[in-house]
Amino acid sequence: MLKKLMYGLGGLALLVGLWGMYDRLAYGHENADYGSYVVWGLWVAMYLFFAGIAAGGFMLASFDYLFNIRLFKGTGKIALWGALVSLGCGLLSIWLDLGHMERIWKVFLQGNPSSVMWQMVWSYTIFGGIILASLLLAILQPDSRWLKILMIMGLPVSLFVSGAVGALLGVQVARPFWHIGLFPVQFPFFSLASGAAMLLAAIGLFGDPHDARRPQQLWVLAVITVILQFLKLYFLWADFSQSIYGNMPINVDAVNEVLFGQYWWSFWILQLLIGSLIPIVVLVQPRLAKRNHLAGWMGVLTLVGFAVARANIVFPALSVPELEGLTTAFTGPHLDFDYFPSAMEWAVTTGIVGLAVLGFLVGADRLVLFASKTEVTQ
Amino acid sequence: MAVAEKPKQQGDLSRREFLRTLVGGGWETSVLEQLDDDPEKVLAAYEGQIETLSRDTTNARVGREELDSLERMRRDLLRALAKPREQRHWVMVIDLRKCVGCHACTIACVAENKLPPGVVYRPVLEEEIGTYPHVTRRFIPRPCMQCENPPCVPVCPVKATYANKDGVVVVDYNQCIGCRYCITACPYGARTFDFGGTYTEGTPEAKGLILGEGTADDYERAANFEYGKAHERTEKGKSPIGNVRKCHFCLHRIAVGMLPACVTTCIGRATMFGDANDTESLVSEMIAKPNVMRLKEDLGTEPRVFYLT
Repeated sequence: MLKKLMYGLGGLALLVGLWGMYDRLAYGHENADYGSYVVWGLWVAMYLFFAGIAAGGFMLASFDYLFNIRLFKGTGKIALWGALVSLGCGLLSIWLDLGHMERIWKVFLQGNPSSVMWQMVWSYTIFGGIILASLLLAILQPDSRWLKILMIMGLPVSLFVSGAVGALLGVQVARPFWHIGLFPVQFPFFSLASGAAMLLAAIGLFGDPHDARRPQQLWVLAVITVILQFLKLYFLWADFSQSIYGNMPINVDAVNEVLFGQYWWSFWILQLLIGSLIPIVVLVQPRLAKRNHLAGWMGVLTLVGFAVARANIVFPALSVPELEGLTTAFTGPHLDFDYFPSAMEWAVTTGIVGLAVLGFLVGADRLVLFASKTEVTQ
Repeated sequence: MAVAEKPKQQGDLSRREFLRTLVGGGWETSVLEQLDDDPEKVLAAYEGQIETLSRDTTNARVGREELDSLERMRRDLLRALAKPREQRHWVMVIDLRKCVGCHACTIACVAENKLPPGVVYRPVLEEEIGTYPHVTRRFIPRPCMQCENPPCVPVCPVKATYANKDGVVVVDYNQCIGCRYCITACPYGARTFDFGGTYTEGTPEAKGLILGEGTADDYERAANFEYGKAHERTEKGKSPIGNVRKCHFCLHRIAVGMLPACVTTCIGRATMFGDANDTESLVSEMIAKPNVMRLKEDLGTEPRVFYLT
């Protein structure tokens, strides 16, 4: 029943996305709300979000194929599939954000290796190849030693791609809100948390209901998710408190924008309450955490919180003028420090989320990614 | 003594030919044919002719009368153009005490570079100091700082933005993928993105009159001459639409011995431009003053735009 509903919602989202995609391709960026001041909007935030799930999904797959953790035997394929779908959706999101999509090849052939963005494009390409090859091997030749070799190669790459997201923002001295030395360290933890939440949702909502190990798997994933949630909250506290104590106006303004700005509700309600506190309260209780659907939905809520958290990292730093007076110096379309995604942006993102849901479900059904009992006992 | 004429090379174009074709409206065919895609080569093509313009450029005075600063800067410019490019050090000096906040420089820049809505190279920031009614106002024109240590350059994933031989940070429109990473990296907000709009978009049509989007946007779609190359806006999505754009000190004007548009338009002579590697130049004289400052100097970007306060 739930699966049918998800297929329906996914299809509907994809339809909405088609309209958004038409608008994007026919009119370029004209109908977007991001501009020359808040230059990165919803699509960049969603890219960071999906890329985090991809890296985290791969890390979780290593529990099965690299570290041979008995409890997670049989979860590797669905984790890898989730990672692949997420990576595809993340890259689609960021590709649509480019002013000249047709010139993406230039990054490969005429690139600037010292740019973090160049490093990311190349590492995502390598990472995508590793995920795909690992998944194919896991499906076709699960006993191949190449699978372990690929996992050994892929694990540092997954750490690199998630750390590079932190570096992409962290290297920017012009944005003190991002210019945090620990950003590249924080992001791999965020990715691992995203991967755990994704697997929690996948196993909780769509896993084999007759698998006796499922409650224990859910409990362990719940513990991992809760620990990483606390770690994430600690990082958040550290970043915000240091910014406020440091009292650098451009930094304090960005933090205030998150905490008390016009989109305060996205931080307090979506990110903290729905995305962090409710999942923590439910998942710390073994009795509740072992309930399939409840645990699965807590995974979904955690992911929603992480998506909002990405937006709350990207937008506020750009919402504070670099120079006083820039806001009113010259006015025109796309010259605004106030950003809320346009209908076209929402439609495209809805479509990409729909694509992710449909892609995940089709793969889970057609490729038989949840392990059979014989596979697990082997 | 007759001087042997150099054989004309591909891309060579005399200033007279350039102006004649430009004024004559035949530039599309005659000039464009000789232009190369590489903005550096295009600009360099004009500079071979500068020698003839740069005679008698050292006098800062005519008799006892001091030269108007514009004329002096023009002479400074021609003198600098006669030097190898690596030896020039273009700087802009803005005297904030002379700026009246008329925004003429902003508009001149928009007109010169045919900037579409949402794209601005040189806004004038207004700052109010004090509490009403005891207030004073300060105007700060903000072109690109043309940093010697530009944070926007290393972040570009395709080397589309770089400092050219003159030290001016440029954007190669045909290389830029429009990721906007450079915009986030600029501490001065000096880069904007071309979303493809026009000022006349949505203007109602009036039959028989030069009105309406269909006719009026012809002007907006016509080419500008940034980097010495004609960039038309006739096709949706064609560069510079979808690109990041910025002030380039009007390199296309400099190449033919003209001062940047914002300098010539400044009614208070508040904006000065020239070669800081020339002790005779006006800008050298200005930046040696004690009341000079640069924006966000603590970041170590080493801006080439100086403010006199």
